[in-house]
Amino acid sequence: MNPYNRRRLVSRIMLGLCAASVVVVVVPLLLIIGYLIYQGISSVNLALFTQMPKPVGESGGGMANAIAGSLLLLGLASGFGMVVGVMTGIYLAEFGDNKFGFIVRFLSETLNSTPSIIIGIFAYTIIVAPMRHFSALAGGFALGVIMVPIIARTTEDMIRLVPTSLREASLALGVNKWRTIFRVVLRTASPGILTGIMLALARAAGETAPLLFTALGSRFWSLSVSEPISSLPVQIYTYAISPYEDWHRQAWAGALILIGIVVLIGLAARFLAARSSLVRGARRR
Amino acid sequence: MRRFFASSIVKAVLAASLIVAIAAGVSGCGPGKPVTPETGGGAGNKVKLNGAGSTFVFPMMSKWSALYDSVKPGAQVNYQSIGSGGGIRQVIAKTVDFGATDGPMTDEQLQEAKKPVLHIPVVMGAVVPAYYLPGNPAIRFSGPMLADIFLGKITKWNDPALAALNPGVKLPDRQIVVVHRADGSGTTYIWVDYLAKVSAEWKAKVGVATSVNWPVGLGGKGNEGVAGQIKRTPGSLGYVELVYALQNKITFGAVKNPAGQYIKGSAASVSAAGAGAANTIPADLRVSITNAPGKGAYPVSGFAWLLVYAGQENQKRGQALTDFLWWVIHDGQKAVKPLDYARLPEQVVKLAEGKIKEIRVSKANGR
Repeated sequence: MNPYNRRRLVSRIMLGLCAASVVVVVVPLLLIIGYLIYQGISSVNLALFTQMPKPVGESGGGMANAIAGSLLLLGLASGFGMVVGVMTGIYLAEFGDNKFGFIVRFLSETLNSTPSIIIGIFAYTIIVAPMRHFSALAGGFALGVIMVPIIARTTEDMIRLVPTSLREASLALGVNKWRTIFRVVLRTASPGILTGIMLALARAAGETAPLLFTALGSRFWSLSVSEPISSLPVQIYTYAISPYEDWHRQAWAGALILIGIVVLIGLAARFLAARSSLVRGARRR
Repeated sequence: MRRFFASSIVKAVLAASLIVAIAAGVSGCGPGKPVTPETGGGAGNKVKLNGAGSTFVFPMMSKWSALYDSVKPGAQVNYQSIGSGGGIRQVIAKTVDFGATDGPMTDEQLQEAKKPVLHIPVVMGAVVPAYYLPGNPAIRFSGPMLADIFLGKITKWNDPALAALNPGVKLPDRQIVVVHRADGSGTTYIWVDYLAKVSAEWKAKVGVATSVNWPVGLGGKGNEGVAGQIKRTPGSLGYVELVYALQNKITFGAVKNPAGQYIKGSAASVSAAGAGAANTIPADLRVSITNAPGKGAYPVSGFAWLLVYAGQENQKRGQALTDFLWWVIHDGQKAVKPLDYARLPEQVVKLAEGKIKEIRVSKANGR
């Protein structure tokens, strides 16, 4: 076998392996979505969006409070996660090339890989126990903590992609440093940062564990931040381990709605990323 | 390109809140949410009581919560089924307005709570040995035999001891898959309390608590989890609250009572057990009615209690809680029968009234 044919063969095999890996990744995802649609679509109806849950063991009812609760929790979470995450990212990218920055980066990575149930217990300890009340606020905080490291990471990466020449140009015109960061650097990096925020939101949307001991759950309509609140993942969890057929049916439908919300957030992230000239530039490189 | 970074964030936030608002609006106008004019249209003026605990009473509590919402529009009672162990924990941590348990708090737990906690009995129920065997044969159990199965000493469905109790029943040559609770549970408490009364070995080796070191078996979370586990596993034997077995059409067996009768769990047989024990109830109402004497008494019966602090810190919440408890032991009892729990015996209602009257609102700082 001459060297050319050998190389071509190796190349083909490797390409084949790559293709196989893609299949391994994509097929389960398609199966999950397909199965969810198969199981859930027949149960998605107006009642699911407009009604409250029925008492245990009775058929009918819906998940209106869980859907609204999930959205409220995500709102609270991003209020906290966005501010802290973006600020951390700015610090790391602009001022973090020292020992402290290294430590912060390391801790942030560690936080990112901390099991979410531990973050739930943390929120329980510092919010629920002292306030002596389960609340949407505690749930939102727990989800926010999960979002922080993801947002910090993407913010740092996106800011680092901003060319130094832009900063220098701004500084050369006599603009001071904080204005440069806010008006030039952040502005240039914002589509990428927004993508990061959306990804963090999508991750937080599906979390169950941190909500069990913070937001607790409720079978009533509630938009109060100081009261326990229902959420889609917890509702799905409760319904799925229950022995009732009708709740299983609703759990499937709820899961379908949840994945729909996550896909929407993901699409929004894609859309924002596509508008980012910076990211496109980075890809071309 | 956007003009200003902050503006794009603001836009995103605005868009997000708009979505939330629309979703809230859409799902809020459904028939499920009555908007009463006296509360000004919002749920803000309602007193919201939060409780958590026992899965044993979850179907009952969730029914009461729905009923109470319609008879008393000024108050909402939210109950989350996290297990009796969790309920007791949260009462001690004071994160809930009331807890619920079907195994009474231990003396250590009461001490840990620092302030006096009242046990208000609300309903009685049966814990039944539920199993899944092909053909659903009707099987009779005795206490010592159940203890031996849960100790891992009887491992086969066609064990001679089982066969001797069940003449004429075709028992399969199958492993018994024991299913028990994995979380802290009052249902477990009732079950092991019974086993300890009928088996000295169980008492010595395993003991009585809301969670114990199980010699054998698989764990499930909550009555819901155990029922699901039994339904999926051929050859399984576990214990669940009666309503979970009935609602899920899981077969359950009769258990031999001290009078020598084989009794199946039912509202009537639980009431019989409660009536037998009603005269011996201690002042704090923490009473065990397992292995109760008397004809027709089901031996694995128990009370479920709501746990409340005798000293309430907030006038409005304390009042709402007292009203709810009062309603539960009186009008609420009418909803008990359809869910196959047993009503409180008359004497116990009187005792519970006395306990509810002990609740006081102290003028200390409210929440």
